[in-house]
Amino acid sequence: MAEVHVIGQILGASGFPNQNLYCKWKLHTGGAWKVIAGAREGQTQVDLPQNENFAVWSHPIDIHFATKGLQGWPKLKFEVYHQDEFGRNELYGYGFCHLPTSPGTHDIQCPTWRPSGTFREQVSQYFIGGAPQLRNADMVQSAERYTLQTVAMGKVHCQLGIILKNFDKYGVEC
Amino acid sequence: MATTPTVFLLMMSGQIEGGDFPEFDDLYVKYNFVYGPDWVITSGLEEGISQVCKKNVYGNQYFVWNFPLDVTFKSTNPYGWPQLVLSVYGLDAFGTAVARGYGAVHIPITPGRHSRIVPMFVPEASSRFQKFLGWFMGRRPEYVDTNVVARGEGREVTRVRSQGSIKCQFNIISRDMKKLGYDATPNTMTTPNGVSSLPSSSAPGAGASAEPSSNRDGDHS
Repeated sequence: MAEVHVIGQILGASGFPNQNLYCKWKLHTGGAWKVIAGAREGQTQVDLPQNENFAVWSHPIDIHFATKGLQGWPKLKFEVYHQDEFGRNELYGYGFCHLPTSPGTHDIQCPTWRPSGTFREQVSQYFIGGAPQLRNADMVQSAERYTLQTVAMGKVHCQLGIILKNFDKYGVEC
Repeated sequence: MATTPTVFLLMMSGQIEGGDFPEFDDLYVKYNFVYGPDWVITSGLEEGISQVCKKNVYGNQYFVWNFPLDVTFKSTNPYGWPQLVLSVYGLDAFGTAVARGYGAVHIPITPGRHSRIVPMFVPEASSRFQKFLGWFMGRRPEYVDTNVVARGEGREVTRVRSQGSIKCQFNIISRDMKKLGYDATPNTMTTPNGVSSLPSSSAPGAGASAEPSSNRDGDHS
């Protein structure tokens, strides 16, 4: 079986309206993919930057996949949350990116968005906090979103290294 | 070729060049490597501690450690790829060492020269009372085990404050990765009939050679 190693970091986030951010991440794959070692999902630390408008997560990713087919190449999904001074968490952004298919080190910036909600929800969020969330978070990486109203949010920065094994043995050109 | 190798080697040479911590002075760096169970250090130092440096007050307010890193790893499997864990300490007004930053970075996976800017952060007190106590006793929170910054598990309970960064240089040489079937760069990949995946203008049939580079000069059809 061909194998893929993903080695890198979720560096952090920028461009969000507030600090004190953290992120839940998960790798989604098709059915032919199997995790041999490493964590498939996780949650980062909460960071309050001192100087810059960049939340540092430095969250390591090291995962080893084996696959029988190319369908369902891994996708990395993010959910960015903001923790306010009372310890409440509100959603600040959803986003996903495909893992690069070519070996080597890649710098990835993943843009994020969040559901905007109704006018009433926007007013209540402004005064008392709490943001609308998707009931089904799988919508983030699906292509059926035409009923949603969304707001653009910041970016998640990643640096990912891809190592492939035996892809050329099976005639796959990446 | 004698025998097929079972391990690959990763040689890393580089340096902890310097750092940017505008609000501190008299800082030193500790480094060590964190790696998976299949990895072994064959030569070089696994951990080290730098000199204490005052920042350059005339120019860019930048710390320079210029501290060498020189280590060779051996492994059978890229899983658990080594990470460089950095922690910066400084002396406070009472002369005790206080953690000023923690950070981690993976050693680059591709051969060549790389530079990395590692953002640093310190843990925050878990409650307001702890914060007050820390301020009162003059003790800032720090990690008992610095290697937690290289691990992904259990991070959801930590709150940190990011401050400063460290710049590192790496020179990477790998050996026998391709012989074990691993491709860390696109140029080592070959297509089924042995032609390099890089654009080459060889005639049909000339791609039967196994070496990707040997058909580069052979297009005399």
